[in-house]
Amino acid sequence: MLLTLDLNDPRPLHEQVAAAIRRAITAGDVAPGDRLPPARDLADALGVNANTVLRSLRELRDEGLLEFRRGRGVSVLRRPDGREALRTRVRELLDEAAGYGLTADDVITLIKDIKDIGEEPGEEPGGDFGKETS
Amino acid sequence: MTDPRSAVSGIRTRFVAAVAAWAVLVAAVLVAVPLAYGSRLPDPLATHWGPSGRPDDSMSSAAFLLFLLVMWAAVAGISVGVAARGRNLARRTTRACLCAGLAWAGAFIVATQAVTIAANLDRGDWTRAATVSWQPAVVVAAPIALGALGWLAGRRGPDVPATPPPPGPLIDLTPGKRPVWVSTTTAPWAAWIALVATAAAVVTASLSLSGGLSGGWSAVVPLGLTALVGAVLSSVSVRVVPEALTVSVGPLRWPSRSVRLDRVERAWVEERYPSQMGGWGYRGLPGRATIMIRGGECLVVRYTSGGELAITVDDAATGAALINALVDRRRA
Repeated sequence: MLLTLDLNDPRPLHEQVAAAIRRAITAGDVAPGDRLPPARDLADALGVNANTVLRSLRELRDEGLLEFRRGRGVSVLRRPDGREALRTRVRELLDEAAGYGLTADDVITLIKDIKDIGEEPGEEPGGDFGKETS
Repeated sequence: MTDPRSAVSGIRTRFVAAVAAWAVLVAAVLVAVPLAYGSRLPDPLATHWGPSGRPDDSMSSAAFLLFLLVMWAAVAGISVGVAARGRNLARRTTRACLCAGLAWAGAFIVATQAVTIAANLDRGDWTRAATVSWQPAVVVAAPIALGALGWLAGRRGPDVPATPPPPGPLIDLTPGKRPVWVSTTTAPWAAWIALVATAAAVVTASLSLSGGLSGGWSAVVPLGLTALVGAVLSSVSVRVVPEALTVSVGPLRWPSRSVRLDRVERAWVEERYPSQMGGWGYRGLPGRATIMIRGGECLVVRYTSGGELAITVDDAATGAALINALVDRRRA
């Protein structure tokens, strides 16, 4: 299983690990029914404590993504739905926005701008573009 | 070029037909010979000869026939089972091994019966059966000769190449991200061997301690060793991090071996099987080794020094892709 940790992520480690595993499930690297590698192997590879990984796995179990079975380890139960999958990416978007000095409200404004364009096809997109750059 | 899948099923049909014909032929001989000589044979038959060459044990002729038939049915059944499984027959080595084993086993059983019946022929009672001298040599040599023929017969036909594994995903090596790959493969049969051997060792040891079993201690050490080997072979874990590749075996993840990625030149996926590598476990010498716990997909890495290490592990394509991406970045 391929996992990617963000070295600049300010969140606590267990949340980062959970996000990485959630991304792997969303991306289809592990399919429902697949077994995850044992927590200590994940911990060894990620360079974190095994208890941190176990905490992340429990969080994902509570979300309903993973299943713990005695003697069979941890397996994937289902893929995250759209809202859950987007939550991770919105979080990443907000982090990137913060890197450019934009707040969450700025991002919401941006999203609303795009939504307005999508909902009002009659409006000239060129005018909007002009306003933004001026 | 023929489609590999239809080639495999064609080979399988022919193989199963040949095995069935051989199984029926051997069984027919096993039944026909005692029937043909029945009136000239004592019952029970002498079936075992001591080191002096004199008969020292007997079996009723029906039990002897049943014993040979059951042995043969087990061998033929297991062979057909192996042949019917997946892509086993696509590999030339597997076919050759199976044919050699079947030819050897059939010849061994027929030769055992022939020598036994010849020694009992026209003797009124099993205790007066002929002494044996050169006959065991026939029972050993003839099956080996037939086994060799079986090997040659099984080698015929193409070595159908496995369908190439899908190329691994493109790995996004963004700066500031730390990609890692973890894969674990287990061999349940090895875990079972370890479990059964451990249980047997504990039972034997406790029986010996309580005095219920004399000489039981001599069995404890081999049982313990079997348990150890089974445990080590029961699982393998591979971790790739930006600095190194680590391979560990066994439930305790020990022994473990780490290779720094600056010593790695390239990684790829290969199919390797115990029949090619000479069995399970650590096969080959350091620098050209395979850590084999099951047949199939292997992650192979080549060192900059020219050596190679292969590990049987699932999802090897992703691991190889990550190693190659990391090695390329390191060189750039």
